[in-house]
Amino acid sequence: MSQSLRPYLQAVRSSLTAALTLSNFASQTAERHNVPEIEAQTSPEVVLTPLTISRNENERVLIEPSINSVRISIKIKQADEIEHILVHKFTRFLTQRAESFFILRRKPIKGYDISFLITNFHTEEMLKHKLVDFIIQFMEEVDKEISEMKLFVGGTVPLLARAEVNRLQLNARARFVAESFLTPVSRAVAACPAMS
Amino acid sequence: MLLLDYQNVLIESVLKERFAQDAPPASIDQTVSDFDGVTFHISTPETKTKILLSIQIRCFRDLVQHGAEQVLQREYGDYVTSTEPGYDFSVLIDVEGITGEKEERDALALKFALLKRNAMAAPFEAAYQEYYQLKEEASKFTSEEAPKGVLEGGQVKAIHYREEEAIYVKASHDRVTVIFSTIFREETDRVFGKVFIQEFVDARRRAIQNAPQVLFRNDPPLELQGVPGIKTTDGEKVGYVTFVLFPRHLTPQRMEDVISHIQTFRDYFHYHIKASKAYIHSRMRKRTADFLQVLRRARPENEEKERKTASGRTFKVQGS
Repeated sequence: MSQSLRPYLQAVRSSLTAALTLSNFASQTAERHNVPEIEAQTSPEVVLTPLTISRNENERVLIEPSINSVRISIKIKQADEIEHILVHKFTRFLTQRAESFFILRRKPIKGYDISFLITNFHTEEMLKHKLVDFIIQFMEEVDKEISEMKLFVGGTVPLLARAEVNRLQLNARARFVAESFLTPVSRAVAACPAMS
Repeated sequence: MLLLDYQNVLIESVLKERFAQDAPPASIDQTVSDFDGVTFHISTPETKTKILLSIQIRCFRDLVQHGAEQVLQREYGDYVTSTEPGYDFSVLIDVEGITGEKEERDALALKFALLKRNAMAAPFEAAYQEYYQLKEEASKFTSEEAPKGVLEGGQVKAIHYREEEAIYVKASHDRVTVIFSTIFREETDRVFGKVFIQEFVDARRRAIQNAPQVLFRNDPPLELQGVPGIKTTDGEKVGYVTFVLFPRHLTPQRMEDVISHIQTFRDYFHYHIKASKAYIHSRMRKRTADFLQVLRRARPENEEKERKTASGRTFKVQGS
């Protein structure tokens, strides 16, 4: 884990734990309704101050607490075009399966890549610290996954990461593809050196 | 299977079966598709021993312009027959007339399976011939005083082999340039394509010094200036991949292989883009399952619930 990632995740973890103090709270505007107040935004008195934790300009987390729900939005690092596409594909893939993820929001908040909505019903059913663990682990792995996928596609692999590529057996596919296409053509010289 | 075959595998296997030494005659009527919208029709219209193989290519008119008929005549000679209506070229094979060992028979089947390759090869062969001529002429001059036509090279031969995509072949005195225009239907394909192309471009610098030079750009290359039918407005959707074949690739001995190989470029390229998308998809599926596993851990273990029978009775431990 890199130097700045640890304190970043630590900050997210403690803010999230603090924010996840939820209680059952029925709607003030509609009788017999019980909606996540952070989504409804009907009364300012039950919505708390949102909090942004940024690691750098490309990576940040927005935590919006309210009395009975917390909304967490994550902006995933996207250094270039390929990462942008991969993040987009991956988050879309996840949100299409939001049903089975319970706390995943179907649409991210504007400016972020993926959002979670945790209500008091979730915290009643599930263990709070494990939910925090899930969010943190998600943040850790999503970066790792994106860069692994990218290495596989090829792209510009920084020198330091090359060793890792071999270790992960993720042969940069594009490179392999290109080389095996060009080899038969260039074998012309090997076959008849006199002609070159 | 990293590289694509040059021949049509289905046609090859059908013909191999028919050409076998003691194969019982059977009637065939099959329509076979190949890359780039090419359609084959393999049938036995009259008797079971006479197989008619027809091919339909979108760009046959382009190919004929560049001498496809001569090439096909050379390759298939006596087999050529009157063209089946609705198709562009036909060959008729009399199974009874085939002699020889198994290897010869298989070689013959392969030859017919290469029908598309041979048809498409005509403009490339023409470019090779043009290159030999120009080289001959250019060797008479020094580079400064050569007449204009020799230095600039021949006409650009366009093969519109797909609806919106084309191959352009141009010969000059020291090289043959092959340009593929290719369309990326979606943004993802474009980005992936870019990564792949970058590796094609770099391969020469890094690993294979003898490889043909590969260039990529989104606007039409200078070679294509003044060629009709080239849109300049499409922006990033269209890509132009240029292969520059140098004299060492242009030896007559290597001609066959290089032509076959370069024809498969577009299909090969797009095939691998799709393959990596599929790989990433399966990877995402696995990772999503992992995340679900983590989330499931957040649920406390279910306590033992009271179990009921279908009629609603409950089990009770005696004595409690």
